[in-house]
Amino acid sequence: MDPQTMTSVQTRTSLGHGIDISSMERSQIPTRIEDESIAIEVDKLDLYYGEKRALNSVSMKIPHKKVTAFIGPSGCGKSTLLRCFNRMNDLVDGCRVEGGLRLDGKNIYDRDVDIAMLRRRVGMVFQKANPFPKSIYENVAYGLRLAGINKKRVIDETVEWALKGAALWDEVKDRLDDSALGLSGGQQQRLVIARAIAIHPDVILLDEPCSALDPISTLKVEELITELKSNYTIVIVTHNMQQAARVSDYTAFMYVGDLIEFGNTDQLFTKPSKKQTEDYITGRYG
Amino acid sequence: MTEATASDTPDRQPRSIVAGSAGYQPRYIKDRLAKVVVLIGGIGVIAALLLIFVYLLSEVAPLFEGAEFKARKAFPVPSDGSTSLYVSAEEQGEVGMRVGASGELNFFDLHSGVAREAVHLPIGDLQIKQVVDVAPERALLAAGLSDGSVLMFQQEYKVTYPNDKRLITPGILFPKGETPLAFMPQAPMHLAVRENDDSLMLVGSDPAGDVSLKAFEVTTSLMGDSSVTESPMQTFTPPVKPDLLLLEPGMHWLYVIDKAAGKIAFYRLNGSEVPQLVDVSEAGAAIVDAHYLAGGISIVSAQSDGRVSQWFPARRQGGKDDGKSYLAHIRDFELKDGAKPTVIGSEPRRRGFAVGDDQGHVSLFYATSGRLIHEEKMLEAPVRALAFNPRAQLLLALGDDGKLVASDVRNEHPEVSLRALWGKVWYESYDEPNLLWQSSSASADFEPKFSMAPLALGTLKGAFYAMIFAIPIAVLGAIFTANFMSPEMRQVVKPAVEVLAALPSVILGFLAGLWLAPFVESNLPGMFLALLLLPLSIPTFGYLWMRAPRAVRLRVPMGWEAALLMPVIAFVVWLCFLLAKPMEALLFGGNMQAWMDHTLGIGYDQRNALVVGIAMGVAVIPVIFSIAEDAIFSVPKHLSLGSLALGATPWQTLIGVVMPTASPGIFSAVMIGLGRAVGETMIVLMATGNTAVTNFSMFSGMRTLAANVAVEMPESEVGSTHFRLLFLSGLVLFLFTFFFNTVAEVVRTRLRRKYSSL
Repeated sequence: MDPQTMTSVQTRTSLGHGIDISSMERSQIPTRIEDESIAIEVDKLDLYYGEKRALNSVSMKIPHKKVTAFIGPSGCGKSTLLRCFNRMNDLVDGCRVEGGLRLDGKNIYDRDVDIAMLRRRVGMVFQKANPFPKSIYENVAYGLRLAGINKKRVIDETVEWALKGAALWDEVKDRLDDSALGLSGGQQQRLVIARAIAIHPDVILLDEPCSALDPISTLKVEELITELKSNYTIVIVTHNMQQAARVSDYTAFMYVGDLIEFGNTDQLFTKPSKKQTEDYITGRYG
Repeated sequence: MTEATASDTPDRQPRSIVAGSAGYQPRYIKDRLAKVVVLIGGIGVIAALLLIFVYLLSEVAPLFEGAEFKARKAFPVPSDGSTSLYVSAEEQGEVGMRVGASGELNFFDLHSGVAREAVHLPIGDLQIKQVVDVAPERALLAAGLSDGSVLMFQQEYKVTYPNDKRLITPGILFPKGETPLAFMPQAPMHLAVRENDDSLMLVGSDPAGDVSLKAFEVTTSLMGDSSVTESPMQTFTPPVKPDLLLLEPGMHWLYVIDKAAGKIAFYRLNGSEVPQLVDVSEAGAAIVDAHYLAGGISIVSAQSDGRVSQWFPARRQGGKDDGKSYLAHIRDFELKDGAKPTVIGSEPRRRGFAVGDDQGHVSLFYATSGRLIHEEKMLEAPVRALAFNPRAQLLLALGDDGKLVASDVRNEHPEVSLRALWGKVWYESYDEPNLLWQSSSASADFEPKFSMAPLALGTLKGAFYAMIFAIPIAVLGAIFTANFMSPEMRQVVKPAVEVLAALPSVILGFLAGLWLAPFVESNLPGMFLALLLLPLSIPTFGYLWMRAPRAVRLRVPMGWEAALLMPVIAFVVWLCFLLAKPMEALLFGGNMQAWMDHTLGIGYDQRNALVVGIAMGVAVIPVIFSIAEDAIFSVPKHLSLGSLALGATPWQTLIGVVMPTASPGIFSAVMIGLGRAVGETMIVLMATGNTAVTNFSMFSGMRTLAANVAVEMPESEVGSTHFRLLFLSGLVLFLFTFFFNTVAEVVRTRLRRKYSSL
């Protein structure tokens, strides 16, 4: 675990905002991946940056309407894998993907796939909140307008719905026309989530969404993730193992481009089957 | 802190944090030094800018100062007791002259009023009825005598410097002999005389209402003998009472003025033919006096209602009388408080004139600028005569009471008024009000035309065409380079374009003037074809490339596709010029310029706005490109990623996120480019033809403020109105660029604040 994450965990614990893992997860019967319906299937995915291989034949199944977390030390390829889900890696020079990645059975790397349509179904939230330099309203409406929706009434309703969905409505409803850049970091991140859900995606990818946030904002975003999972398949990359444990149903541990272990979060954290996983979650390296 | 340090390293003394203690000094000095240097630099820049501004202002300010009269001592004009008919002053303003009805000429000192030489004209017992100016620039006068004959005489002032002191000795010459020329059988009611190298014309009116006209021709044979031919006297009856006669110096026009009726009959003189009545104009009130202005084109008439009107011959524009001459009523000047004018005196070398009234006030006007420059009470009695010395630095006012006041006049820049600088002015010899810049001419009779409007318009026109050419190329190029080009190619393209900015504009100027302008002239259809087809061929090629088989496309690395365009552009340009000739033959009868001229009525100048637009565009493109590219490139990557992640296409991302975010930078790039184009001198100087026209046509030239200063500064007299107006155009230029740069900066700071937390 890197020192930064350590600090944030310590701070949070000392502030008393930690969520008791046992009360959240233990009450449920441990579920198995085989029982879930599958949203995304990764099939022997290899990824190269030029000559360098960044992902080694990764295969996994992301369950439908559940939260799946990717953990692992820096540079292990978890963000790279996440970015394969909506082909954001296409924008990286010299990036090449081999193998399959199926969304509802359709390989998204097929040539007839419309990348814009794919990204509309697979939304993404980045590590650093990136609201556009527009008003709060226009930020949320942006994706709708891209999709060709121009009816004011529809956009109004959707913006309100999305902001409510992102638990931001009450804080911003009186200043929708203010610049989004005036919001706090946590609010901006929730705004970005609202922007993502406004276009009704099936999957939301979260790339370390809380790493730049303070503990209280982190808590709000985490609560939001828990609420969102009833409607969306969520994949989250996090450095923070406590966070993975708190919010996710399934966790994948990656190390240097390999998927080491993937399974029920409870089991992975309490009874990891691989030595590397155990070393990592007990803080022996990171 | 000291405690901790002490316990960690017990052998070290606690360091002092007091400024100036040991070990602290050198950095401290460097820091202070740097601060001072930076401060001096910054203040120096602002001070230099302010100084330039203040200097420009100080050169321009005198333009707007009014005139000033400084009256010398009033004195009774020295005389022999006869009525004073005429007063004048010589060039230096030291000696004055008065002509009395008895034929006595009195010279006197203008400072003290002391009488000097007196001369009696050789007229025997005859009386002088009237003295008129024949050629004011030569101080040539004519006296109408009581027997109807005319004596011409010339004032002569010899300047000598005995004991290094200036001494002016007045004298009289008789260029036409001392014998009066026989003219009319009786004393004329009013007389007008004009003379030039080889002819002399006398016009006189009699109480019966007839006007007599007599001309003398001097012919000089090859052997050098000259003989005078006297043409027979012509007499005609004008439709108005001939109280006052004004003859044009060129002897082509004659004005017969009926004072009480306020009418001006306007005659054209055709040598020996009978004078032809062109027009009769109404002044609207009784005319008190009328006078020619310098240059011999305009006349001014003072009416009893306090108005002074300026007139000159013009041709009617439009209507059924199109092209017919008439006496145009140009403009009116009002005396203050409806005073009753008595007499007019005009400046010999400028279009200025003074009007005296019955209360002793004198008002100074200027015709071109149409303004009252100064008004002052000079006399206690009604003003009978007004005369300027040739330099118009001294004004003599003679009152009915025989008192004369000489007043030093400081009136340096009467030509300037806001309307004369920016509005349409009806200049002499033009048929309608115009916006013109013609600052100087070889002839002293020339009326300078100082309208800034054509220059300002020309500046904006040049900048406009340059921007039309530069903005699309520079901004679109910047967008492509920043967004779509591969980094390796960008590393080549960007510095290459920026190097273009280092090209001296004089080189662009002469390329434009000596190569491009003739090339465009002879290949006009090809140019237009290229301007039309190039923007079309590029997207077409892009589309075809997109449709090309994958195997072909993969041969070109991503972001290098633009390089493929180069042969395409070269080919299209070649094709355009190949097609141009047959196309010109087919559509425009073989000559596009002639076709435009005949069919569309558009004239074509070789040095035109199209050429300037291209040349100045090339000068401006690197500036706009570089700043705009930086602005677009520095849009945070995470914003475009955020947009792409929402399912936007790269184009949508560009329009929806990148461009709005980069807009302050792009805007200021365009404004800085515009500022550059407005201030650009060499290119416009060499490629515009420098004609101060006021149209926005692509095919005509222009004269810009900057080029105007460069062209005219060497030939303008220091301190003259022209000189100061060039400074004013510099100031206007400064304000233009200042305005554009300020707008750019304000918009940029505001937008930057808006996007500051990115």
